[in-house]
Amino acid sequence: MNRILLIARREFMATVSNRGFLIGLFVFPALIALFLLVGPRLLSVASQPRVVGRVAVIDPTGRVAPLLRSTLDSSAIEARRRENAVRSMRGIPGGVSDTVVQRAVGRVPNLTLVEHPAGTDVNAEKRKLASDDPAARLLALVVMHADATQDAIASRELGTYDLYVSRGLDEDTETTLYESLREALVAARLNVAAIDPKRIDVMTRVTRPDAVVVTATGEQRGQRRFMRFLPFMVGLLLFIGVVTGGQTLMTSTVEEKSSRVVEVLLSAVSPFELMAGKLIGQLGVGLLAMGIYLGLGLLALYSFAMLGIIDPMLIVYLLAFFLVTYLIFGALMMSIGASVNEIQEAQSLMGPVMLLLILPYMLSPMIGRAPNSPLSVALSFIPPVNTIAMMTRMASDVPPPAWQVWLTLLVGVGGACAAVWFAGKVFKVGLLMHGKPPNVRTLIRWAREA
Amino acid sequence: MEPALRLERLTKTFGATRAVDELDLVVPRGATYGFIGPSGAGKTTCIRIIMSILFADSGSVSVLGHRSALEAKDRIGYLPEERGVYRRMRVGDFLAYIAQLKGVPEHEALPRASALLEQTGLVNVEKKRCEELSKGMLHRVEFVAAIINRPELIILDEPFSGLDPVSVKRLKELVATEQRRGATILFSTHIMAHAEELCQHVVMIHRGRKVLDEPMAGLRRQYDPRTIQVEPLDEGAPLQVLRQIPGVADVQLTADGCDVHLQPGADPTAAMRQMAAQVRVARLAMARLRLEDVFLRLVAADARNPEAERALRDDLQGVATEGAAT
Repeated sequence: MNRILLIARREFMATVSNRGFLIGLFVFPALIALFLLVGPRLLSVASQPRVVGRVAVIDPTGRVAPLLRSTLDSSAIEARRRENAVRSMRGIPGGVSDTVVQRAVGRVPNLTLVEHPAGTDVNAEKRKLASDDPAARLLALVVMHADATQDAIASRELGTYDLYVSRGLDEDTETTLYESLREALVAARLNVAAIDPKRIDVMTRVTRPDAVVVTATGEQRGQRRFMRFLPFMVGLLLFIGVVTGGQTLMTSTVEEKSSRVVEVLLSAVSPFELMAGKLIGQLGVGLLAMGIYLGLGLLALYSFAMLGIIDPMLIVYLLAFFLVTYLIFGALMMSIGASVNEIQEAQSLMGPVMLLLILPYMLSPMIGRAPNSPLSVALSFIPPVNTIAMMTRMASDVPPPAWQVWLTLLVGVGGACAAVWFAGKVFKVGLLMHGKPPNVRTLIRWAREA
Repeated sequence: MEPALRLERLTKTFGATRAVDELDLVVPRGATYGFIGPSGAGKTTCIRIIMSILFADSGSVSVLGHRSALEAKDRIGYLPEERGVYRRMRVGDFLAYIAQLKGVPEHEALPRASALLEQTGLVNVEKKRCEELSKGMLHRVEFVAAIINRPELIILDEPFSGLDPVSVKRLKELVATEQRRGATILFSTHIMAHAEELCQHVVMIHRGRKVLDEPMAGLRRQYDPRTIQVEPLDEGAPLQVLRQIPGVADVQLTADGCDVHLQPGADPTAAMRQMAAQVRVARLAMARLRLEDVFLRLVAADARNPEAERALRDDLQGVATEGAAT
């Protein structure tokens, strides 16, 4: 046991003291933090130059254009955008500052409406959209249909409008145009029908409340939206931990083999002790990586006062499932490392293993949405994908029954035992093999013969 | 007393190749055994079975009284043919790590590594990374790693392969030190000269089978060449006259002079005295026993044509490319 721990300690220290590993470990969260902090500023509509231009409208109804003039007004656009922003950010715990709302509102375009009477040459106006002269160029041309506000046959659907835009019109301003046109057109139609638009607005507006999750420990408000991301996040954590530990396990095994230090080690320890020590050492590395990311996640939740949404048992299960998943994939990756001479040779054998690891992770959004679907339940009992599938289900809105969780763990432990047994056999044979790298069939033959 | 090593009818096959074929061997405690044979003879396979790195198809192994080397690894020192180090690790840390794996207490590991490094002429290298050392220095570090646990049994697989003469000399001194300490040493080599110099006993192996198991003293008696090498002072000296000396069976001319073969029972001292009387000699000496000759005689069936014999002789002299051991 002492030898196993010695090997584990060296393996762990050699990996975590490697500059490349440390950079890799912290670069990922640093990139996310950078994206979260700097991204919104870089991508913010507020940082874009203000759009200034003319919008022409040909309105045979004569009713929409005056209303459009007011809905296209900068102050109206700003008010509308502000209302939308506040509505979309309502779920964020602790609320949002006015600066954040202002950033979402962005720079409001300054659009001048040019009205044209019915019968205006549409093609002549269209040409202005592509004019080389900036002073003559239009940003957009709106052609209202004659029946846009009133129709002779009451049961028929009302007409609409055609929108022509210049090539340079950005998506944001185009959306603003659609919203302004919709608002003006609806108001015009209500006027025709002698209905008070304000009254309609009051009667049709239903503010959607955030669902309140009632649990044994109390009520949780405004977190359902976040909960939908949780399965994906938990799957990602498991994936990161396993890949970090497994990948370095394979690399270190290949290095020991290619540097021929392995036979020196085998003079002091048995192949099993060497394998067990390496597995434990890299388990520590995987735990460290996962722990750092988990810690950062919990810290973020704490800062948003959302720590309560995480069931502590979820973390316990995460650790248990990580152990099982790591043992399966770590053992497989180590057996690959022991059977090849160089990292490049491992690529063909790594393909199927990585596919098995990525598959449940890719399916995690689907499993999270339908955690008790036949596919989700079936995947929970098929090693080696079962652990990630089950973790995703457990983090979902509708957690699975406890017996399924335990069965998954049991199946996972069985899978881990089989993987370690297989790896032990391949490890023993492969370590001293040099020359042509084996294929999967050869590995199975080694396992049978060893 | 239980011998240090006992192999009984050891057999190992790889596919259709029988790498070790019913091999029996007993190495008493404190002895230095040479395990010799050409490349591919099965030496490394046999050593790996002794070390429980490979397992025999049949037969039994007893190492320091245990059925498996795994039970006695702390008392064994092993220098594999394919050896290496953690290149980025510091020399002192590497040796201390191996020492601890071999059961040396943590507080003793580093001081012991330092003392052994000094003995091998490697001073101030503890803090250096292994990758900073020359190949010869690394070989010495690897040797230190093999003996750092003060083993009772030392197994050296081709310890001198790929080494420069200075490193070979250093390593031979270290082997001699371990011999004096009382360790049992088994070392394999395909270069007979190394075995002639270091061994008290030789075991020859060819195609997995043992073809000779004799003490060096017995070999010298059994394979006494009864040949006197003569190098005349004058280039044109009439060497054929030596044939007339009583007890001389044959005279064969060589590049430097001639080899005089004596009849069985002839007195070499008297014959040499008479040779010196008849020819002015620059050098007159009994020919040394050469293990490669013994080996070639034993495996005569495989070296019946001159080309095969030359290839085998080159391998045994270390002329052929080293490595490729099974």
